[in-house]
Amino acid sequence: MAMNQSELKYEEETNPNVNVALRYKSWMVFLIVAMVVGGAAIGYRLVEGLAVTNLTNFVPWGAWVAFYIFFVGLSAGAFLLSTLIFVFGMVQYEKVGRFALFTALICMVVALMFIALDLGRIERATNTLINWNVMSILSWEVRFYLIYMVLLATELWFAMRKDLNLLARSGNLFKNKLASFLTLGSNDISDIAIKKDHSWMKILGIIGIPIAIIGVHGGTGTLFAAVTAQPYWASPLFPIIFVVSALVSGTALLLAMYVIQRKARGLEVELGMIQGLAMLMIGFLAIDLTLEFYEFLVAGLNNKPEKMAILSVMFTGPYAWSFWGVQLFLGAVVPIYIVANKRLRNSVTALTVAAICIVIGIIGVRFNIVVPTQIIHQLKGMPQGYYAPNLVEWLSSLGVVAIGLFLYSIGAKLLPLEVNDEEVIEHE
Amino acid sequence: MSDRLLNQFTNVAKKALEASKYSTTLGMNMAEDARRLSRAEMNEEDFVRKYQGMVQKEFGKKMELAGIEETKDGPKWGMVIDLRKCVGCDTCTVSCKAENLTPPGISYNVVLVEEKGIFPNVSRTNTPRPCMQCDKPPCVTVCPVRATYKSGDGIVVQDNDRCIGCRYCMVACPYGARSFDFGDSYEGEMLGYGAMTAPDHGMDRGERKKGHSPIGTVRKCTFCFHRLQRGEEPACVETCVGDARYFGDLNDPNSVVSKMASEARAFRMKEEYGTEPRVYYLR
Ligand code: SF4
Ligand code: SF4
Repeated sequence: MAMNQSELKYEEETNPNVNVALRYKSWMVFLIVAMVVGGAAIGYRLVEGLAVTNLTNFVPWGAWVAFYIFFVGLSAGAFLLSTLIFVFGMVQYEKVGRFALFTALICMVVALMFIALDLGRIERATNTLINWNVMSILSWEVRFYLIYMVLLATELWFAMRKDLNLLARSGNLFKNKLASFLTLGSNDISDIAIKKDHSWMKILGIIGIPIAIIGVHGGTGTLFAAVTAQPYWASPLFPIIFVVSALVSGTALLLAMYVIQRKARGLEVELGMIQGLAMLMIGFLAIDLTLEFYEFLVAGLNNKPEKMAILSVMFTGPYAWSFWGVQLFLGAVVPIYIVANKRLRNSVTALTVAAICIVIGIIGVRFNIVVPTQIIHQLKGMPQGYYAPNLVEWLSSLGVVAIGLFLYSIGAKLLPLEVNDEEVIEHE
Repeated sequence: MSDRLLNQFTNVAKKALEASKYSTTLGMNMAEDARRLSRAEMNEEDFVRKYQGMVQKEFGKKMELAGIEETKDGPKWGMVIDLRKCVGCDTCTVSCKAENLTPPGISYNVVLVEEKGIFPNVSRTNTPRPCMQCDKPPCVTVCPVRATYKSGDGIVVQDNDRCIGCRYCMVACPYGARSFDFGDSYEGEMLGYGAMTAPDHGMDRGERKKGHSPIGTVRKCTFCFHRLQRGEEPACVETCVGDARYFGDLNDPNSVVSKMASEARAFRMKEEYGTEPRVYYLR
């Protein structure tokens, strides 16, 4: 592209007819209120310990663990989607590429906050790095998470480098200064340098694929699958289901976030791209459902009493609503109907609703993985447990998610995450 | 009566030995210790060690430990519980709580009750469950910080100063033998409860205070390690009303527990999980 570089500018488009600043402000106020309320719950939990939760010795893992694997999944899914763009050259999705990387990073931060909240001894968290138990999957995961986050940040930096430079030159506001700082002194935006950036992104993406699949999310699935004592988890299909459902939720989240952001700024959304993403999302969902179908079918045919007891808790017990209602109806039936319906398929709003349903459905999936299996005690002759998160757990979860959204919103405001149209072509 | 008989034989043996060309004292001493050996007052290793030199000198032959595992590395503790003798009174559970001063909601030992059949053909089995001190413990495998480990005496040890309280070991233990210390206390019902300190793995942690270990970490049965150090049996074994529990060194093939553990009635819980428990049951 032979364009004079000084003419290049990074500018965020907004619709002049909409008061975007006001919308942004009220959104931020909402998040701050949520953070204050959630922060109080988090503080209470930090001072009083885990006694303020509904966790017991029967059900030691609860909502926070479910949210932790949910956000790890979102992150891995969002990252894998970004590799479709940066590694496999599916440029039609380029517009969500940087959002995908940034979302993946923020989701990891949120996931780690959740798991930190869940530790009985947060102050000793670094013990996991000091005392490495090579046999413990969890101890590997901690390391994978950190490597993965560094990789995400680096790849995002390469993806934004050019625009950071442009941004740095086009003004003197805080935003521009921040951009200039973030360039880390790497100011060469000649075509050759940009090409180099792209190959770096490709390399990092390629390295990232096994890290995200095997290390980060497959590993998180293995963390469960490796537990012989929990017959429902101890299935080799588990890590695979984890990865596929990560793709489902990651794609759905990106779709929803992208549309919501564009609409909030009063901008048009390109239906074609959203439809493409929606098809991708439904495709992943279909694979996910197939895997789960076999998981349950084989379990039923094997007829192992311990496993059957857990399945019956899932299907007919006190959490049946979460399986049938959230996981299957909201998370699968509704979105599939929307995408299959001719009229709804052509509406961006309907597709966004489908995506949101899927994201909520996957929360149900994560909850159903963690909780029902613990309801049945490892030993016969022990009473059944019960668990539902209490107010402290809900509010602190709200707080953690609000912190994540807050970081995201600030990032989306200050960083060049949007991709200008001419760059899309350039990337080919 | 039997003593007189014995003495007669002893005299006969003495005469026979005096007639032989070998040392009479050695023969007599060895015979006496052999009797101790058969009464299990002496173990074979000591016997061999005591006479090896003299036998070599006298007979020119080397005495060796036959078919016996080396016990150099000290005892490896194990427990045998006779289910036919267990009356299901839960004394073990209570004495364990008293001994280890476990807070509300934590019980290192429980007694599982299973009733089978329809009246009048009913059977009831009481199964006490301490920590199995598995030889292949899943709780050790999963621990991300090596806070839980297998010690040389067979006991699975939990280091409460390193544990981060992730509770992975709790979901991974097939026997539900681990509990999280939420920090609850009996202080309301029992004045001075907090001032007493749980003897955790032989370590005195002082007053039970918020924010101090073991609060916020996972806890488990230690086979009453602090009592073993004093040469006493675990509290549950000592207090068992039905005398259903046996404790000892599974490394020593002559110990009571070793013998019971190799009986046909012996089994281990959830053998199929491959955890190799050190607690045996007699059915
Ligand atoms: S019974 Fe449970 S806590 Fe005890 S050693 Fe075995 S796995 Fe660990
Ligand atoms: S709770 Fe403590 S002992 Fe158990 S796995 Fe976690 S760090 Fe290890």
